[in-house]
Amino acid sequence: MSETMPAVDSTLPYNDVVPGAVIGQDGETLIVAREKWPELARYLRDKEGYDYLSSVTGVDNLTHPKRKDVERFEVVYHLYSIQRGGGPLVIKVRAPEEDPEVPSVVSIWPGADFQEREIWDLFGIRFPGHPNLRRILLWEGFHGHPLRKDWKEAYYEEEKKPFGSRWPKGDYPREKMRLPWQEERAIWQDNVVYPTDFAPDTWQPPEITYHFGLDLYRELEGLKTDRIIVNMGPQHPSTHGVFRMVIALEGETIVGLEPEMGYLHRNHEKIGERNTYLMNIPYTDRLDYICSMSNNLGYVLAVEKLLGDVEVPERAHYLRVIMAEFTRIVNHMWAIGFLLNDLGAFFTPALYAIEERELILDLFEAASGARMMCNYMRPGGVARDVPEGWLDQARKLVNERLPRAIDELDRYLSENEILLARTKGVGYLSPEDAIAYSTSGPVLRGSGVPYDVRKAEPYSIYDRFDFDVVTEEGGDVYARYMVRIREMRESVRILKQALRDIPEGPVMPPGKQKYSFRVPPGEVYQRIEAPKGELGFYLVSDGSPNPYRYHVRAPSFINLTALGPMCVGYKVADAVAVLGSIDIVLGETDR
Amino acid sequence: MTLLDPRVLGEWWNTFLRSGGLSEGWVIFINAVVVTLILMGFGLTSVLIIIWAERKIAGRVQDRLGPNRVGPYGLLQSVADALKLMTKEDITPERAERITYNLAPGLAVFAVLMLLVVIPFGPGLIAADLNIGVLYVVAMGSFGIMAALMAGWASNNKYALLGGFRTVAQLLSYEIPMVLSMSVPVLFAGTMSLHKLVEMQANFRWFGLIMPTAFLIYLISALAENERTPFDLLEAESEIVAGYHIEYSGLKFAWFFLAFFLNTLLLSAIAVTLFLGGWQGPFVDKVPLLGVLYFFLKTVLIVFVFMWVRATFPRLRIDQMMALAWKVLVPMALALVLLAATAVKLPWPPLARDVFLFFSNIVMLFVALGAIGRHLRQEAERFSGRQKWATSSSTTS
Repeated sequence: MSETMPAVDSTLPYNDVVPGAVIGQDGETLIVAREKWPELARYLRDKEGYDYLSSVTGVDNLTHPKRKDVERFEVVYHLYSIQRGGGPLVIKVRAPEEDPEVPSVVSIWPGADFQEREIWDLFGIRFPGHPNLRRILLWEGFHGHPLRKDWKEAYYEEEKKPFGSRWPKGDYPREKMRLPWQEERAIWQDNVVYPTDFAPDTWQPPEITYHFGLDLYRELEGLKTDRIIVNMGPQHPSTHGVFRMVIALEGETIVGLEPEMGYLHRNHEKIGERNTYLMNIPYTDRLDYICSMSNNLGYVLAVEKLLGDVEVPERAHYLRVIMAEFTRIVNHMWAIGFLLNDLGAFFTPALYAIEERELILDLFEAASGARMMCNYMRPGGVARDVPEGWLDQARKLVNERLPRAIDELDRYLSENEILLARTKGVGYLSPEDAIAYSTSGPVLRGSGVPYDVRKAEPYSIYDRFDFDVVTEEGGDVYARYMVRIREMRESVRILKQALRDIPEGPVMPPGKQKYSFRVPPGEVYQRIEAPKGELGFYLVSDGSPNPYRYHVRAPSFINLTALGPMCVGYKVADAVAVLGSIDIVLGETDR
Repeated sequence: MTLLDPRVLGEWWNTFLRSGGLSEGWVIFINAVVVTLILMGFGLTSVLIIIWAERKIAGRVQDRLGPNRVGPYGLLQSVADALKLMTKEDITPERAERITYNLAPGLAVFAVLMLLVVIPFGPGLIAADLNIGVLYVVAMGSFGIMAALMAGWASNNKYALLGGFRTVAQLLSYEIPMVLSMSVPVLFAGTMSLHKLVEMQANFRWFGLIMPTAFLIYLISALAENERTPFDLLEAESEIVAGYHIEYSGLKFAWFFLAFFLNTLLLSAIAVTLFLGGWQGPFVDKVPLLGVLYFFLKTVLIVFVFMWVRATFPRLRIDQMMALAWKVLVPMALALVLLAATAVKLPWPPLARDVFLFFSNIVMLFVALGAIGRHLRQEAERFSGRQKWATSSSTTS
């Protein structure tokens, strides 16, 4: 690929073990030569203990004012060590425009599977060595790769928001009402381009060879039967949205499963790059729409980290934690209720579980004005203080109702013979696999890996609270269920402490709040322990009021990598249970 | 008082017809038409009420109100739904096997409606007192399996096909413990006529009290035969969407729906007939029409239990369900048949036989509960700790 190998710089780390691998350093970030990257990756995983690939994403440097002289594309890896905890090792691998290729690391961290496919889909960076490199979020007839900076969406107006006034001279006279719609005056019009050789009228979906995750078909011993492929979804009652599982069946036994997603794709990240930093907060609500508060928290923490010198008032810190933990309870209640639904219960557990959820949503509504799309947090604090009496109401809920509700669910469900029979030993994921597939949250902890971002890399004020990381050894659906039950108890513990200690005071830093603010150039990866797992926000700033690159590491999306391996060998009914135990939300998966 | 006795009423009716100068053949024909109309009318209207009750009960179990908009207490909700179903487009999949596809819903309803013939609703209130009543019930019930299988196969849909697979597996499997448990009272009573079976259960000598375990096995199998939770795998909404009737719409779907709820009613009615003394109860010999009331009260009770179970439990997986039938229920039922056969031949007074059978049943029940619990736990153990098939290759390559 490259003509001349640069001289090995021995001052850079890891060059003694893999000579010529690291070709530069940018702060903490290592820039790695792409030919040497798999070798270094293997070394990092095996010898340095970086066994957890949190996030892989791409950046298009085309219009970045400070990156004129570097190659156009770069792939950014955030590696963590499960044993050590702590901060990431950031690796960047760059590829020029004419040859956008980076070696795949799926064989080293299988969790890179979907993320590399996403980068291929949205950036057009190819990953030689990837077993199944095809589009994941967009359809096969899509032209171009939308996160490239030179790709323009339909009815493109301007590069960045806020857009200029459509009628800069003020209110337009009545006769001008007959003018075409603004959309029709957009410079690129509807901007519908199809790939060459593509006739939209006669197009037939291409034959897709399903690889069924990383496993190929397996022959069952003994009985030879006809194999059928069943498409579960996109319209299916228990895929929790528009999600499709392509399942190969031998009778009732699953021999292969591949998730298909993207039906709800709206290119959240492209939208985020048009928006200003502040405009993005309501958009994050729509990621995992069950837990909008957690999404808010992750995003504002990332922006604050990028801003550097933000002094968040104490009360705002506490309010954020209270909201985030309430969200966790909401989410776990929902997840447990609908897991039971997937197991065939006729809505009763689901309706019992969301009873308390309603009360929490009432609190959210009182604080933020909306039950689900809260849009509550801001860089620097929270949007507004909670109304009078809110804290007492919350204390009452936390001290009296929630523990009882959790106990009730536990008492009704945990010992139920049918539940035990349906969930114990089903969807087994070993701890090694759970780490390798980059799963997070209850899936990871349900496999017995005690890893919680709140403890491993504390953010906000989580280091002040006394709580335990919940783990279960089973690695099955039941373990994930139990983790959720017990995590709710830990959340109640945190809530009790936070509601006891919350001080009076302002909730935003003093001074006038600005609608649009500039953020110093730089890049940041902030992850939080969202209820569904590790939610990461990767932001690159070029110093303008809009993020240059905005990436969401969505826990539902990456946890799905492990779905296929978890389901193979079990029955169709178990696939539904396993999917329910992963607890996905399509708003976040498809982004 | 005598006018309230259906037997007297029937005699009066027959005399009335004959007095008009009709021949015996015509009398039988007219009676058959009248009874058929009455039974069908009863069957179809009762379904409307059962659907309403199901939704209302599920609603209360789930902490909500249930239907309450159409009519008082939402009573007309089912009527509204039925009207809605009639206005729906009737869709046939393009490559469906048309004849089979169209025949299936009719067959499903036919199978259950035919069962109404042998149900003794009260003293003397039975359309046809067949001397092989129980056998007839079993035979006619099997038509329902045919209907589900035909629907599943003919729809040309993979979910429907899976539903069809499951139909064969589940309904045929549960037919066996059901028949065996039904044969326990039959053996004990020495007759297959449902009417005679009821008459033998006078004075609270209900077979369900004498042989509770057989009753329980019947109830479990009936849940499975009726495709209700925890055995609703045939139409498991969260797995195969609607199973064998996924492609049916409009009235054809309504027929399946009808068959389902009618089946609920009839399986309960048979349970009551065989095990809970049918129309027997206090003062029935004085006021025979009370028997009808007793019969319906008991039936409604069983139907309520079915609905309660449905609103409460998650469902079993296909292998667990089959294992439960073949490993637990069938051996249990066989043992009960053996016990009943022994009891019949014991040279004891009837009361002593009843007591013997009762206690041996209780012992069997505890054995069974233990067996089910152990079985489920074993199933769980069998899976847990099981290594994944192929993931190791991907993590260590």
